[in-house]
Amino acid sequence: MLKRKRFIFAILAILPTLAIFAYVRLYPIADTLRLSLFKWDILSKRKPFIGLANFRELMGDHLFLDALVNTTIIAFGVLFLTIPMALVIAALIFHRTRSRMAGFYETAVFIPHVVSLVPAAMAWKWIFDARLGPLNALLTFFGIPAQNWLFDPVLSVICIIVLCSWQALGYAVLIYIVGFKNLPVSLYEAAKLDGASGPQSFWHLSIPMLKPITLYVSVVTLVSGFNVYAQAFVLASDAQGAPGRQVRVLVLDMLENSFRNYRVGYAASEAVVLLVIVLVLTLIQFSMLRERSKA
Amino acid sequence: MASVEIQNVRKAYGDFETIKGVSVDVPDGAFVVLVGPSGCGKSTLLRMIAGLEEITDGTIRIGGRVINDVEPKHRDIAMVFQNYALYPHMTIAENMGFSLRLAKKPKEEIASRVTDAARILGLTDYLQRYPKQLSGGQRQRVAMGRAIVRNPKVFLFDEPLSNLDAKLRVQMRAELKDIHARIRTTTVYVTHDQIEAMTMADRIVVMRDGVVEQVGAPLDLYDKPVNTFVASFIGSPSMNFLAARVAEDRKSVATENGIRLPLGIEAPAAPGTAVTYGIRPEHLAIASVGEGVPMTVTNIEPTGSETFVQGTVDGQKISAQLRERLFIRTGEVLNLALAPTNSHVFDAATGMRLG
Repeated sequence: MLKRKRFIFAILAILPTLAIFAYVRLYPIADTLRLSLFKWDILSKRKPFIGLANFRELMGDHLFLDALVNTTIIAFGVLFLTIPMALVIAALIFHRTRSRMAGFYETAVFIPHVVSLVPAAMAWKWIFDARLGPLNALLTFFGIPAQNWLFDPVLSVICIIVLCSWQALGYAVLIYIVGFKNLPVSLYEAAKLDGASGPQSFWHLSIPMLKPITLYVSVVTLVSGFNVYAQAFVLASDAQGAPGRQVRVLVLDMLENSFRNYRVGYAASEAVVLLVIVLVLTLIQFSMLRERSKA
Repeated sequence: MASVEIQNVRKAYGDFETIKGVSVDVPDGAFVVLVGPSGCGKSTLLRMIAGLEEITDGTIRIGGRVINDVEPKHRDIAMVFQNYALYPHMTIAENMGFSLRLAKKPKEEIASRVTDAARILGLTDYLQRYPKQLSGGQRQRVAMGRAIVRNPKVFLFDEPLSNLDAKLRVQMRAELKDIHARIRTTTVYVTHDQIEAMTMADRIVVMRDGVVEQVGAPLDLYDKPVNTFVASFIGSPSMNFLAARVAEDRKSVATENGIRLPLGIEAPAAPGTAVTYGIRPEHLAIASVGEGVPMTVTNIEPTGSETFVQGTVDGQKISAQLRERLFIRTGEVLNLALAPTNSHVFDAATGMRLG
C-alpha cells in the first residue's frame, strides 16, 4: 500500500516537469514528423497528406544536397580540428596545473564557448575581411597573396569551420581536463619509471585512457556541428542580402523553405533528415560506450 | 645489481620538513624494509630513490653513482606501486613489455623476456588478458613482472601487499621472498606492517617523524630495541611498558606499590631512578601460586592455539600471550612469571634503552 502511495507521489512530483518537457521537446518533434508528410504553406487551411513525396523531392533538390554536403563537411571539419587540439591544450593546461596561470588558461579557452555568438562571429568576420582583416595583413607580410576568405566557396567553408572550432574548443578542453583529473597519477609515475617521456605518456597512456571522453566529446561536437547556422549566417551572408547563399547549411535551408518559400512540410522533412543523422550518431556513441564497458 | 647509499637526506615542503636527515646503507643484493607508522616519511624516502620526489638536501647513490639529478628512467630502478599502477588498456604482456618497447628493444627480445618473467611468476596463461580480468594477487604479480622484465639494479616496493586480503598477503609475502632469493636484486621495501618487515627483511629500518630510529636485523630489533618506540612498534601484540623505579639491589625494579619486576642484568642506573620496564606478552607465563606478579584480569581472548589475557598490574595495563587454555573470569587475579632475561629497561624520561 505504502509502496503504491509513494509511487503515485513520485509520479505527481515529476509530472509538471514531464509535462513541460513533453510540450517543448517531444511535441515539436512529433509534430515535425507529422508535418513532413503533408504539404502546407503556413497560411492556407488546406493541408493535404502527400506521404513521402517531400522526401522524394529532397533527393533531387540541389540546394538541399548542397546544404547537406556543406553541413557534413563543416561538422566533420570541426570535429577533426577540435578533438586533437582540445586534447593537446587540455594536456598542456593539466600538466602545468601548478602554474599560477592555470586558471587563466582554462578561462581563456572556455570564454568563446559562452560568449554571445553574433558579436564573436562579427569579430571573426573582421579578421577574415579581405581588405581590412588582420589575417590577410599577416599573409601579405609573409609574401603570401591576400585571399578572398569570405567570398570563395571553399575558403568560406574553412572560415566557418575555424569559427565553429574556436567555439567548440572551450567545452571540449573543459571536459578533457576533467578526464585528465580522473586519471590515476601512479600510472604516469609508473610510465616515468618505465622510461616514458611526457609526449610518450600522452600518446601511450592519456589518449587510450581518455577514449570514452573522446567519444562523448566527438558526438557532442558533431551534433552541434550539424546544427551550424548562425555562424554561416553571419560570416557568409553578405552577397546582396541573400543570407546563406554562399555557404548553404541545413538549418538555413530549412528556414528559407519554411519562412521564405512557405513550404513548411518540405522544411519539416529536411528537419527529419537532420534528426535521423543526429540520432544515428548518438546511437553509434552509445553502442561504442557499451562495447567498451563489456570488454 | 647495486648498493644504495642514502646520506643525510632531507625533504622539505616549504618550511615543513618531512625527512630530517636520513642515512641508510642498502648493501648489494640485500632486502631492506623501511617500516614505520603512516606519515613517518618512508614512502617519501622511497619516492626520492625512485626520482619521483626531489631531494632537498643530502645525496643518494645507486651503485656508487650520485643520482640526485638523474632522470628516473636513467636510475636503473623498477618500482611496484601500492595500487599496482597497471596500464588498464594494455594486455598483461604489453604491460610487462612496455618499458622494453619504449627502450626500442627488438620484438623477439621483448617477447622472450616477458615470457621468462611470466614463467617465474606463474603468469604464462594470463599474458593476453587485461588487468581488470585478473584477481588482486595476479595483478600484484604482474606489477612484479613489469619490474623483473627490466632487470633493474634496484627494486622498490611501496606497500605492495596492503591492498590484498590477509590470507593472500601471507602467501604473497612468501612468494616475494622466494623471488628475491632467486634473483637476488637489491630491494627496498616500504610497509607499515611490522610483520611484513620482520618476515621479509634482511635488515629493517624503523622510521618515525622523518628520522631513522633504528637499523638492524629483524631479530636484533626484536631483542634489543633502542627505545620504547621501536620496542612497541616491532612485535605483535606490542611490548608491555610499566613505570617503575630501580630497586636497592639493582636486580629488579619496583612499581609504585612495591611490586617487584625481575631484571636479567644488573640495572644500569642508580637505585631509585625512574625507568620504564618493558616485557613482551609472549615472555609472560603462569606462575605457581604465591609466586610471580599478580595481574587483575580485565579481558580474555582465546584464539585456540593461544590465549591473550589483558589486565592490570598495580593499576598499569599489561597483556599476556599464554599457551595454556585458561578457565578464569574477568576480575580474578592471575599470577604471572616474568622471564628476567627477556626484560628491557628504558629511561623513563627519554625512552632510550638502558644497558
